[in-house]
Amino acid sequence: MFEARLSQGSVLKKVLEAVKELVTDANFDCSETGISLQAMDNSHVALVSVLLKADGFDPYTCDRNIPLGVNLGSLNKILKCAGNEDTITLKVDDTGDTLNLLFESQNNDRFGEYELKLMDIDQEHLGIPETEYDAIVVLSSGEFQRICRDLSGISESVSISVTKEGVRFQAKGEVGTGNITLRPSSSVDKGSESVSIKLTSPVDLTFSLKYLSNFTKAAPLSDKVTLCMATNTPLLVEYNMEECALVRYYLAPKIEDEE
Amino acid sequence: MPPKQGKLDTFFGKKGDIQSNGQPVTAPVRRKRRIIESSEDENDTENVRVKNKRVKLEKKKAVEEESKAPQVEKVSKNDSAEDLPTNSEDVDTEEITKKEESTIKAVAVLLASNNVSASVDIDWKAGESVLYAALVNAYEKIEATSKRLEIQEIMTTFFLRILEKSPSNLLEVIYLCINRICPEFEGLELGIGEASLMKAIAMSTGRKVQAIRKEYSETGDLGLVAKASKKAQSTLFTPKPMTVSSVFKAFRKIALTSGADSIERKIQSIAALMSSCRSGEEAKYLIRSLEGKLRIGLAEATVLVSLAQAIVMNDSEYKTMSKNDKTAKLAEAPSVIKAVYSELPSYDIIVPVLLKHGVDGLREHCKLTPGIPCKPMLAHPTKSITEVLDRVEGHKFTCEYKYDGERGQIHLLEDGTIKIFSRNLEDNSQKFPDIVKNVTRFIKEGTKSFVLDCEVVAWDKEKKSILPFQVLTTRKRKDVKHEDIKVTVCVFGFDILYYNGEPLLQKSLEARRDILFSVFNEIEGEFAFVCYKNLNNVEDIQTFLDESVKGSCEGLMIKILDGTESSYEPSKRSRNWLKLKKDYLSGVGDSLDLVVIGAYYGRGKRTGVYGGFLLACYDPDTEQYQTITKTSTGLSDQNLEDFYKHFNGQVIDGPKRYYNFDEKTKPDVWFEPSVVWEVLAADLSISPVYKAAVGTCDLSKGISLRFPRFIRIREDKKPEDATTSDMVAEMYQRQFNHNES
Repeated sequence: MFEARLSQGSVLKKVLEAVKELVTDANFDCSETGISLQAMDNSHVALVSVLLKADGFDPYTCDRNIPLGVNLGSLNKILKCAGNEDTITLKVDDTGDTLNLLFESQNNDRFGEYELKLMDIDQEHLGIPETEYDAIVVLSSGEFQRICRDLSGISESVSISVTKEGVRFQAKGEVGTGNITLRPSSSVDKGSESVSIKLTSPVDLTFSLKYLSNFTKAAPLSDKVTLCMATNTPLLVEYNMEECALVRYYLAPKIEDEE
Repeated sequence: MPPKQGKLDTFFGKKGDIQSNGQPVTAPVRRKRRIIESSEDENDTENVRVKNKRVKLEKKKAVEEESKAPQVEKVSKNDSAEDLPTNSEDVDTEEITKKEESTIKAVAVLLASNNVSASVDIDWKAGESVLYAALVNAYEKIEATSKRLEIQEIMTTFFLRILEKSPSNLLEVIYLCINRICPEFEGLELGIGEASLMKAIAMSTGRKVQAIRKEYSETGDLGLVAKASKKAQSTLFTPKPMTVSSVFKAFRKIALTSGADSIERKIQSIAALMSSCRSGEEAKYLIRSLEGKLRIGLAEATVLVSLAQAIVMNDSEYKTMSKNDKTAKLAEAPSVIKAVYSELPSYDIIVPVLLKHGVDGLREHCKLTPGIPCKPMLAHPTKSITEVLDRVEGHKFTCEYKYDGERGQIHLLEDGTIKIFSRNLEDNSQKFPDIVKNVTRFIKEGTKSFVLDCEVVAWDKEKKSILPFQVLTTRKRKDVKHEDIKVTVCVFGFDILYYNGEPLLQKSLEARRDILFSVFNEIEGEFAFVCYKNLNNVEDIQTFLDESVKGSCEGLMIKILDGTESSYEPSKRSRNWLKLKKDYLSGVGDSLDLVVIGAYYGRGKRTGVYGGFLLACYDPDTEQYQTITKTSTGLSDQNLEDFYKHFNGQVIDGPKRYYNFDEKTKPDVWFEPSVVWEVLAADLSISPVYKAAVGTCDLSKGISLRFPRFIRIREDKKPEDATTSDMVAEMYQRQFNHNES
């Protein structure tokens, strides 16, 4: 028996937006701590990991671990039927064949009930190593989205280099080049627009913009995005919605030609 | 070079993933170790810079070691070795055979003297499927050399390892090496389009299709683009190693994909395969195979020879033989397999027999079988009657009309099935339902099975005469319904290869001809025996040749009639059969002077120059250049280079408005009209895509050349002095008049 009630239904909608571009089918693993999802794209280049914390739900009951195999496209179709202000309740009975979704409007005057057939998805679980990152950059998620969109027009990849002075996004393409530098801001009052950099040693890595642009679909979840980098290590892009959701993307770097 | 996409695979570990050292990975703490480990594992994607340097050191070492042990190679020396000689049709086949034989012998001597190097190749566990990486390793070594002898040794050694460890993979490995997925006559091919492959590469490496297309136009080799793209993107996890079985099965699945969204589904499967590659090299050969061109200079003949020798060497008795016996055995085996293969061109049947009975048992278990087309015997061209007589002197011989039609091989199976195969072993039963229907009428009673070699010729029912080849080509190729047939055909039988359960290949032509006459009945307009005479002097042959030409034939076939030399030699262009064509005789065969107006980029060994040229004739009435043909034969390497230089200065943005062409023949680049070439062709025919003399011989179609061949540059002619459309039309008409006169 599994039941979880989410007063802010829009969170679930946003999480799905953040995942569905990268993977088509995935397991939502329900356990005591919450609902988690981990999936890698077909090319083994990117991975997304989502955690919906149990604390974010009220109430949250899960007496045993159950995987909910879902086609994300189908789930998205159903979630579109929920209003942004709706409360969403997820329920799975002991047979575990279907996921019941209940959408309640704010005024308690409209109830939508939906059922989604679950499937068996044979999924490998991947061990993600703890990493000590050389550079951790926190910036506005809207800014990051804009950078990725702007540079996509210029090249298929972007190099991100972080030094004490700031973080620089650089794209070189057929038509020319594009460079965006963000300096860390000292003033706290700038709020969500500020950029902070924690650096143990400078890094310079190149990534595919196609994937990065995909990741920025998670921007509505959080004002801030954290980029964690270390040389020869996948990039970690994290959107953290403190109270209830955490979305992490991993992206394998591109390898520069040495010649 | 833009940076390339990495994969996550190589960074993270799967829970429960067994590593090469047999230890399950206990993520997450062991990340650092993994990277160090992977840097020592040469199979892994080269994704770490530190590691790249190490690999380079290894490369250097490998080069140093090479002088001591030439067969030991870790890394291919030259990735862009595209210039390997492939089979050129221009070379005399006889010569090839001779060269081949000497090579076979040389290798045989080498192998017999136990001089096989113990190479440090990628290995796999005995009894398990051969790793694709091991095959790729062999491909790389082959591509790095152009010496046939070396290639043969590499292949033989590789086959030998397969026989020892995983014989059940042998068939799949052979198919992958010759880049096919089934026997030729089953007609299933890979040949995936460039656009689809580019999409799949983009999908699996996080790149843009446009960027890939651009790299492709620079390198001319999608394999190299795939390799570069693959190497540039690291992955999070190392995928399971691919095996030859998994790759071959995926290839078959892709080729068999059909129906709605089949292209999209094919692309998905290819992208999945690309993602399973562990190295850029795997990706390179994978994409080339899917494209249908492996281009490493590995001819099917070489594969056959190596297969034969590996089978011999794997025999338990081999080790106890004397050196001379070994050499003899090794030299003989390839010819046995080749002969059997040309009779029964199906590895599906031959390979299991080889594994079970060895080379010695092959002939007994694999024989010509109705239902499986055998490669037809071909004739050697001759230029004069005296040349013919020089060859056949002292033999009993016969002359037959050489009909201008399509070679056909009609099979009747025991169960009553009738099949017709083309010269290239394609199943043409769909194309000629009328013949299939007629067969039962022109065989005599008691005929249970046969294989007939014949010429299918277009037939004018009213005039009761032969029609030219051009008429035959207007027949539909697929899904022909009996009631829709406008061009009727007549079968001219000239040889029988199999009759009522017995192969006849070894019998003399005279004996086969007797059987042929006893099995078939002539029916006007449906079946006839070829017109023949047994002659022996120049005058009679000349008269007979003239008669044949008057009878709308191409010329004569001269064949040895009895003795061992008159047996049927499948797939051979034999000197026991000679063809004497009217065009070959001096004085006939007009050449045309044509203008070069465009070119197609070269691929493979012609990368970097233009591989083919679009030619046009001139129509002074409309002041148009009308496309007539595309040619790529007759051009030497020097020509290609010179023309590339010359025409580079003539490139224009788009076609001139006075160029008359069809979109289907649109070249990669257009030129100013500047040069006139003299071109020789076998024939002229009506074409739906070429525009020469359009509207004169056919209401909407133009005329094109068959088998055009570059002869020389006409320095003395300006583009406006080229052959005119009227002259082309006249030449086309003359072919018919000639036949009627």
